[in-house]
Amino acid sequence: MNCSFTEKISSLIDGELSTAEAREVERHLVGCNECQLVRADFLNLRSQIAGFETSLAPAVQNRALKKILATPRRTPARGFAWSFGTQAAAFATLVVVAAIIGFLIYKSSNTPANDKHLAVQTPTPVPAASVEPKPEASPSPNKDNEQTAPKRTPSPAPKKPLVREPKPGEQFAAIPSAPEPVRSADAQTMTALHFEKSETLLVAFRNVRLNEPGTASEVAYERKRAQQLVLQNMMLRRQADAAGDVQISSLLESLEPILIDISNLPDKPDKDAVRVIRQRVERKNIVPLLRVNSTALARALD
Amino acid sequence: MASEDEEFTMLFQDFYPSLCRFLECLLGGRAPLAQDLAQESFLQLHRTAWGTMPVGEARFWLYRVARNMAINEFRKSHTRYRLFDRVVETMRPRARNPEQEYETQERQTLVLEMLQTLPEDQRTALLLREQEQLSYREIGQVLNVSESKVKVDIFRARASLRERWSRISHVNHVNHVNPV
Repeated sequence: MNCSFTEKISSLIDGELSTAEAREVERHLVGCNECQLVRADFLNLRSQIAGFETSLAPAVQNRALKKILATPRRTPARGFAWSFGTQAAAFATLVVVAAIIGFLIYKSSNTPANDKHLAVQTPTPVPAASVEPKPEASPSPNKDNEQTAPKRTPSPAPKKPLVREPKPGEQFAAIPSAPEPVRSADAQTMTALHFEKSETLLVAFRNVRLNEPGTASEVAYERKRAQQLVLQNMMLRRQADAAGDVQISSLLESLEPILIDISNLPDKPDKDAVRVIRQRVERKNIVPLLRVNSTALARALD
Repeated sequence: MASEDEEFTMLFQDFYPSLCRFLECLLGGRAPLAQDLAQESFLQLHRTAWGTMPVGEARFWLYRVARNMAINEFRKSHTRYRLFDRVVETMRPRARNPEQEYETQERQTLVLEMLQTLPEDQRTALLLREQEQLSYREIGQVLNVSESKVKVDIFRARASLRERWSRISHVNHVNHVNPV
């Protein structure tokens, strides 16, 4: 890895570069084969690590939860009392030490000059060892939070969203690297257009309001679009397979069942059926993947 | 209290599998031990810290505690668990397609072996990034280090794994061409 950009490739696929930096690195990528390889390898490693599956049986999980909930909790009041007592003890020790020092200084200032050396024997203040470092295995929670909000705030949990929008240049696991010029420019253009259309369809499908009276007609339109796109998807996937473009092929492959499901929806679809498809779209992270890929393909064609 | 338990249950259901996976990769594939440590981390959270911090903070707290527990385990003798893990692994129910199962198992073993070659801090940072999709800032918060260290650690981990990966591929290729 001799190119000076290789470290930035790592930050690029993590979405940790500013927009300007990301653009600069992507421009560099177009002309640097070494960096293209590095990016492809880093993404491959990502999909290997992210694809690691743990063998966790639901019964084990439920048993663990029951065990934890059955354990009595330490009340926050006790924790507060302990910390207050510790602080009070430390403060009291300091006051006593300061009083002794003050007393000795006062006494030494009143003694004759030849006795002054005795004042040197004042005991040095012992550092109050009451503030002990906590054991390594249980770090204290954020101290600011402890002081300002000893009880948990009822505000909604800032829970990590299941799917987040990609940052500039960020690529998730199994996302293709720069498309290799194996296939013809026509096929790439068609793929880029197909990705754009599919993205639009999926976004529109996500935004269909299920509770309104015109839902059936709206879904009927999306269904029709999906039927058109399914055929194109199959054709493009076969082309990508034949050209050995595994990355594009795998994205098309994960898109296909979603398009089929939308195109197979009944005239008056059940809300749950629509919701299940939406959840799958979210879970597979398809929309950002389509967006990133269509942009990458378009850029390569430019 | 009931709603607190409900919230805790939700967090547990969402996050316990991820924590198990993180620990399993960190510990080199010792799944039963990983599950025990994940349970112990949640137990500590429930007993001592639950109710004293925002729920969003709890995830980072759990990663921190779980990682410290894993480090303590590294220091202990490894042999104590090895036999038990082998027995559990043998008894584990298998998927229906043995060929697919074998391939997955092979690939996962390779990933674990490669991860074990990394220094612990690089391995943890990379796992938090690739599996849990935490940002550099969040990883820094979990590991109590700066963002720039996280960035460098992740890059070094990737570069090192890439090199090993290409070496393994090369050896496999040579063996394939000239089978012994």
